[in-house]
Amino acid sequence: MSVPGEITFYLFHHHHYLDIPLDEDRYVSTMVDYPNSLYDPVKGHAFYQRHLRTLRLADELGFDGIAINEHHNMVYSMTPTVSVMAGALVAATERVKIQVAGVPVNLMYPNRVAEEYAMLDVMSGGRMEFAFPLGTGMEYWANAGAINPATARARFRESLEVVLQAWTQDGPTRYDGDFYTYRFLNPMVRPYQRPRPKCFIVGTGSLETVQLAIDHEMGYSIVFVPIANQLRAFDQMRELAAERGRAVDPDDLMIVVMAYVGDTDEEAVREARPHIEKFFSWFHRVPPKYLVPPGYVTTQEFLRRVSDVAMAESKKATWDDMVAIGRIACGSADTVADTIASWCEEAGCARVNVVCELGDMPEWKTVKNVTKFAQEVIPRIRAKSATAGQRPVAAGVS
Amino acid sequence: MAQYREERLTVGGIETAVFTAGEGDPLLFLHGAGTLTGFDCLLPLAERFRLILPHHPGFGASADDPSIDSIHDYVLHYLDLLDELGLDEVSIAGLSMGGYLGAWLGSYQPARVRRLVLGAPFGLRVREHPTVDLFSVPDQEVLSYLTADMSIFDGKVPLPPTPEFLAERYRESTSWARVAWSRPYDVKLPKWLHRLTMPTLVLWGDADRLIPVEQAAVWAEHIPTAEVRILPGVGHLLFDESREALAAVGDFVAGSAAVR
Repeated sequence: MSVPGEITFYLFHHHHYLDIPLDEDRYVSTMVDYPNSLYDPVKGHAFYQRHLRTLRLADELGFDGIAINEHHNMVYSMTPTVSVMAGALVAATERVKIQVAGVPVNLMYPNRVAEEYAMLDVMSGGRMEFAFPLGTGMEYWANAGAINPATARARFRESLEVVLQAWTQDGPTRYDGDFYTYRFLNPMVRPYQRPRPKCFIVGTGSLETVQLAIDHEMGYSIVFVPIANQLRAFDQMRELAAERGRAVDPDDLMIVVMAYVGDTDEEAVREARPHIEKFFSWFHRVPPKYLVPPGYVTTQEFLRRVSDVAMAESKKATWDDMVAIGRIACGSADTVADTIASWCEEAGCARVNVVCELGDMPEWKTVKNVTKFAQEVIPRIRAKSATAGQRPVAAGVS
Repeated sequence: MAQYREERLTVGGIETAVFTAGEGDPLLFLHGAGTLTGFDCLLPLAERFRLILPHHPGFGASADDPSIDSIHDYVLHYLDLLDELGLDEVSIAGLSMGGYLGAWLGSYQPARVRRLVLGAPFGLRVREHPTVDLFSVPDQEVLSYLTADMSIFDGKVPLPPTPEFLAERYRESTSWARVAWSRPYDVKLPKWLHRLTMPTLVLWGDADRLIPVEQAAVWAEHIPTAEVRILPGVGHLLFDESREALAAVGDFVAGSAAVR
C-alpha cells in the first residue's frame, strides 16, 4: 500500500480552558464535578479570542479544514454547544471546511441537531462536515437524568436516523421510534450540500460503531485508542464494505494525530513534551467511574477494562507509553511528515485530524506549530503522495 | 437452619432464579438493587414461612433482560412469577428497590397481597430528606452508605475487589440504572399508595445513610394502614445488620405481635 493520494489535513482544536490552578493536585478530576467556580469568564473570553485566532490561522495558512468538538462539564473543552462555535467560525473563516465533531445527537432532540447543522451548511455555502459521537461517559453524568446511559446506544442509532431522514427525505415525514416521535419532521432549512454533507461516525473502534458507519455510508473517525485497535477497526470497515460490494474510500477513514514541528527533533520534543504530558495528566484527569456510567458499556466490556491492569490502576502514563500507544508526531518537518505519511500508508487512510495546540501550550508555540505544519509538513506529505508508490521511511518519534 | 432450594423458571421469556426455603404460608421477599451480601441472613424466616426469594432480572443468578427498564416492568414480571408459582395470595417483604417494587405491586393488586413489609424503600421524593444519589457517590465510599455495620461485608467483598466482582456490581448497577438513572422515585407513587389496604409495615433503621429514616413518616402519611417501626442504630441493609429487623418482619407477617 502506498501513501493514499490527496491526504487532507484538518486542524483539530479542543478549546481547552487553559487556566490551571496552582494547587492542581487537589483535584482528582477535571471533568464532570470539577468546580466551575474556578471558571473565570474574563479569562474565558480571552481564550475564546485566542482559539478563534488559531482557527483563522489554519484557514489562512492552507489547512484543508478545521475540526471542533463538544464536551460538557470539563476544562478539556469550552465548546459545550459546539454549533455556537461553528457559527462563529463560519463567519470568521473564508475557505476551510468546518468539521463539527459534534453534538452527541442522542443528548439533544435530533430534529434540532438536523436544523442547526443544516443552518451551518447553508450559512457557510456548503463548507460543513459532521461527525457523530455517542458521547463520552462523562457527558452522561453531565446530562444526568435526561439520558440513560443504559439506553444511550439504542437512542444514538435512532437519533441518527432522525437526522438523516430530516436531511434526505422530502418533508413532511413521520417518524415513530422507541425514543422519538415526529408528526411533522419537516425542518425548513435543509443542507446546502445534496443529498447531505459528508458525515463520519466517531468511535473507539468497536464493531458496533464500525457497523453503523457502514450502514449509513458514513466515514469513520477513530479517537485516541492504541494504534493496533485503529488498524483493526479500519480493516473491519473495509471487510464489511466489501461484503456489500463497496470499497472504502481512504477519505472516509480519519485518524487523529498530535503533532509538533520544530527546527530539529530535539527542539520539537523539548518544546512540546511538557504540554503533551499536561494534556494527559490534567486535561484528561478523570476517575474511571466517570468513563463508564452504568450501562454505557456491556458487562463483558466492563470486565475486559477492569481486567486491564494498567487501566484498572489508572496508571500514570509515561512519555514512552504515550508515544507507544498514541499517534504523537513530534520532530522536525521531515520527521513529522515521514511519521504521518507512514501512518496513513499503514492505515490506508487519507484523512488526518491534527491537534496542534497541545495541552497548556503558550500561544507562541501554537502559532509556530500551526505555521510550520501548514508550510513545511503538509507540502512534504503532498509531495510524497504525488509520487505515490515510493514508500516513505517511518521515522517514528525521537 | 433451613437451606435454599434453587429453581430456574422461565418467566415471560426471562430465565429467573427462584430460591425457596421452609414450609407454610408463602412469603415473597423482593431484594434490593444488589445481591453482594447474599441472602443467608433471611433464612430464619424459613422457620416460619415458605420463603420465596427470586433474583430480579438483571441481578444475581437471574438472566439479563434489557427490556425490563421500569419499575412497572418488574411489577408485571412478579405478577407473572406468582401466576407461574400458582400463588393467588402472598405476603410480601421488600427491601430498598424491593420495597419500591412491593409498594407498586400491592397498589396494582391489593387483593393478592395479604401483608406487606416495606423495608427502607426507594420510591418517594422527599425534598427535605432526599435519598442519596448512590450512582454519583465515589466508588470507595459506596459501601459505607449501605450499612451502619461494615462487618457485614466481611468475607463477601474481596479485597482488593476482583475484576469479576466489580463486573457483577457493574451489571447490577446497570440493571438498576435502567429503572432509576433519572430518579429513584416516581412522583405518581403517592397518588396510588392509598390502594395499599392490606396491613403494611414500614420498617427503617435510623442510621440509614442512603434513604433517610425521616422518609418513613411520609410513607405512613400516604398508606392508610401503615404501621412504622424504627430500629435504632441500624443502616440501610436492615436484615444483614439486625436480627431484630428480621424478627419484626416475621412477627408482622405472622400477624402475631404488636409491632410497636
